[in-house]
Amino acid sequence: MKARLGAALRTQNTSLAAVIIVGTIVLAIQSQGGFLAPISIRTFFEFLAIPIIIGLAQMATLAVGQMNLAVGAIGGFASCAAAILVADAGLPGWLGGILAILIGLAAGLVNGLLVVLTQINGFVVTLATMTILAGAQYAMVGTRTIQASAWPELQAIGTAYPLGVPLIFWLALIIAIALAFAYRHTLVARQMLASGGNPLAARLSGISNNRSLVAAHGLSGLLCGVAAFIVLCSLPGANKSIGGDWLLSSFAAPIIGGVSLVGGTVAVLGTVLAAMVVRLVDSARAAFQLDPSWVNLVIGAVVLGTVALDRVRTRRPSATRGRRRPPADPPPTAALRTVERGAGA
Amino acid sequence: MSEVYALEVRKVTKTFPGVRALDEVNLRLKPGEVHALLGENGAGKSTLIKIITGIQPPDSGELLIGGEPRSLSSAHEATKAGIGVVHQERNVIADFTVAENIALGNTPTKAGRVDWKEMRAGAQRVLDLLDFPIDPDTPTSLLSPAQTQLVEIARGLYADSAVLLLDEPTASISENESDLLFTVVHKLAAQGKAILFVSHKLEEVFAHCDTVTVFRDGKVVAESAPLADYTRDSIVDLLVGRTLAKLDVPERNPSREGAPALELRSVSSSAGHRDVSFRVHPGEILGLYGLVGAGRSELAEALLGLTRITSGEVLVNGAPVTIRSVGDALRTHGIGYVTEDRKAAGLFLDQTVEKNLTVTVLKRLSNALGVVRARSSRETADEYISSLDIKVSGRDQLVGLLSGGNQQKVSLGKWLAADTGILIIDEPTVGIDVRTKGAFYQLIWALAEAGKAVMVISSDLAETVTLVDRIAVMQDFAITGIVDNTHDYESMSKSVIRLIHDEPISSVEVQR
Repeated sequence: MKARLGAALRTQNTSLAAVIIVGTIVLAIQSQGGFLAPISIRTFFEFLAIPIIIGLAQMATLAVGQMNLAVGAIGGFASCAAAILVADAGLPGWLGGILAILIGLAAGLVNGLLVVLTQINGFVVTLATMTILAGAQYAMVGTRTIQASAWPELQAIGTAYPLGVPLIFWLALIIAIALAFAYRHTLVARQMLASGGNPLAARLSGISNNRSLVAAHGLSGLLCGVAAFIVLCSLPGANKSIGGDWLLSSFAAPIIGGVSLVGGTVAVLGTVLAAMVVRLVDSARAAFQLDPSWVNLVIGAVVLGTVALDRVRTRRPSATRGRRRPPADPPPTAALRTVERGAGA
Repeated sequence: MSEVYALEVRKVTKTFPGVRALDEVNLRLKPGEVHALLGENGAGKSTLIKIITGIQPPDSGELLIGGEPRSLSSAHEATKAGIGVVHQERNVIADFTVAENIALGNTPTKAGRVDWKEMRAGAQRVLDLLDFPIDPDTPTSLLSPAQTQLVEIARGLYADSAVLLLDEPTASISENESDLLFTVVHKLAAQGKAILFVSHKLEEVFAHCDTVTVFRDGKVVAESAPLADYTRDSIVDLLVGRTLAKLDVPERNPSREGAPALELRSVSSSAGHRDVSFRVHPGEILGLYGLVGAGRSELAEALLGLTRITSGEVLVNGAPVTIRSVGDALRTHGIGYVTEDRKAAGLFLDQTVEKNLTVTVLKRLSNALGVVRARSSRETADEYISSLDIKVSGRDQLVGLLSGGNQQKVSLGKWLAADTGILIIDEPTVGIDVRTKGAFYQLIWALAEAGKAVMVISSDLAETVTLVDRIAVMQDFAITGIVDNTHDYESMSKSVIRLIHDEPISSVEVQR
C-alpha cells in the first residue's frame, strides 16, 4: 500500500499540488498579498466546496464506467425544489436542507434504475434526465429568485468559519475523506470498482453489475443533493441558473485528478486537488480581470490535455491489458461467443 | 527454385511471451492446388494465418507471394498483394447491405465517391459464382448465420485474389452450402488460383484437397505433401503424436460411490445444448473435451445461471437445483468457474493482487456495516499468494503486470478462496509455458484429492489425457461420448478424435 501510495503521489497529485503552490504564490505576488488576506481565503474556500462535491459526484459514475450529465440539473432542481417548499409551503429550513439531499439521492437512483432497466447507455439516460430536470427547475422558479432569508438556519451554516475557513468547505472535505475510506474499505464500493474495471469478470465473480450501476448513480445523485444543500447554505438565493455551469467542472476535477474514463478507478485526493486548481484559475481570472469566458477556455484545454496525456501514459500497460486475445489458436471468450450466438439465432 | 509458388512461407518463427507459436515453419502453395492446413488447437495455424494476412508480423523468416519476398504490415496490404481471406468468424457489419459487406475493404470509388453501381455489379458477379441467389441490396442483418457465412466467403472472392485462404469456412454452414462452396473452390483452382484450406473436418479434407501441411506444437510435421500419401489414421497420428514433458502423473482412483457433487440429467439450454448428461463425484476430475465452438464454455455458463436451462435437471449433491445467477451458483450451490480468458473475463488487471484474490469473498470478509475487514482481506490474499506460489512483489502489485502463469494463478486463487465444492476450470493452461503447466496439474490433482469435484474444459488433448479421470467429448452442443481415461495417450487420443471427427457432417444443424 505504501509503495503504491508513494507512486501515486509522485505522479498526478504532486504535479497538481505544485500547480496549486505556484499558482498561489503568483496570485499572492500579483495581489501584493491581498490573495492571502483572511477574507480572500474565506472566499476562495467558500466557492471551492461545490466544485469538490460535484467533482466527486461525477467520479462516482466514472468509477463504474458511466457518466452523469445531470449533475448540474439534479443540483439545480433539488435546491430550487427545496427552496420553494421552504419559502412557499412553509417547511422549516433544516427540513428543506435534508430534502434537497434526498431529492438528489432519488434522482440519482432513478438514473441508475433507468440505465439498468432500459439497458440504454448512461450518457443518453442522464442527457434525458438532465433536460427534464433543468426544464422542471425552470418551470418551478421561472425568473424568480427565492431569497435565502427564508432559511436562516442553513444560512447560519454558510456563514460559520471555524479556524477561519468556511464550514461548508470543512463539510466537503469530510465527505471527501469519508468517500476515500469507503472506496478503499467498503464492500459496495469495491463491488462498484470491480464492475467498472471489468464487468465480465465481475459478473463471473458473482457480483451484480446492475446493483453496482444503481449504487454508483445513487451515490452520484446523493452528492449532487449535498451540493444543492451547500447552495442553500451559501448562496443568497435559489434561481433557474443554479447548476447550469456545473457540468464542465464536474468532469474537469476527476479527469484532471486522474480518474480513468473507462471505469474501475477513483482518485478522491486527485479530484479534490484538481477542483482546487480549477478554483485557482477562476481566482486568477478575477485577479487579472479577464473575461469569464477565459476560464472555460483554459479549463477545457487543461481537460483535453490531461486526457491526451492519460492516453499516452496508459498506452503501454494497455498493450498487455485485456480485451486482446491470448496467442496461439485463442478460443474466443465464452461470453462473447454467447453474445454472437444470441445475435445470430 | 524452378517452380514459382503462389505463396511460400520460409522458416517463419513467431514467439509470444511464454509460447513459441511457430518454429521455423515452411509452407509452399502452388497455383491451381487445394492445400489443406491441419493442426489441433494451439498447433499454430491461427498464428500463421495472421502472419499471411498481415495482421501480425513474423519474428523471423520470409513470406513470398508469387515468388517476390513481401513484408505485410496490415490486412489491407495483404489484400493488395493478392491474398483473399475467408475468416472463421463472421465479421460482417450488420447495418450494411450484402454488396457493401462483400466489397468491404475494397470499396470501389469514382471521383472520390463510392461507386455503388460498380460495387453492386462486382458483388453480383461473386454471388453468381457462388450460385447464391440473394439481392446484393439486402441488409445483412436479415440473413441467417449460414447466409452470413456465405457473404463472408463472397468477400474473400471479391478481390479476385491469386491466393485464397479459407479458415474453417464450413464450421457453421450446412452440407448443401458446403458442397456449393467446394464446387466454387474446384472451379477457382482450375482457373489457376491457389487455395489454402484450414479445417478440422477430415472428411472434407480427403474429399477436396490435393496437398497437406500438418502443424503440431508450432512445428511442421508434414510439409506440402501429396494427400494421397496419407490415410485418415496416419493424419490423426501426425495431428496428435505429441508427448508431454515428463510429469509425475499420480495414481488416481476416485470413488464414484455416493451422490455426485454435480449431476446433469438430459439438460438442454437456450444456448443450444441438447440432452447433456453426466456426473462428477467429489474427488473426481471430469474432462470436457471438444473443438472450439463445441459448446463447452457455454455449458459452464448455463451452470452459472448465465444462460437458461430449458429442460432437464441439474443436481448438486443429489438435490435438484435451479441456478439463477453467478452469485447464486457461488454462494448457494458452491459452484466456481475459472474462466478461459483470464484477461478479458477473469481478472481486474488495473487492480491489486489482493483485490483480485478477495473479490469472490468480499461478503465473507466484511463486517455488518459492509466495511471490508482490512486484515482478513490481507490474510486471505497472503494465504493464496503463498499456497499457489504466486510470484509477486507484494499483494499490492497490479495484476496486469504479472506474467501469464501468475495471472492464471490469481484467477484460480480467487475461486480457491471462495472454497466451492464444485470447480469448473476452463482452459487451465492456455498461453502458459510447459513448466508452469506441470505446476497447475499438480494443483488440480491436489484439489481433487481434497474432495472437490473438478470439471476441466480443455481444447488441448494431451492436457486432457494427462489430467483428468474421465473424458466427456462434446460436439455441436451435445455429448458424443464419455470415456474412462486410461492415460495411454495414443489410444485415448484416437478414440477421442474419432468421437469428434466421425460425427457425420449432416448432423451439423444450421441455426436459423
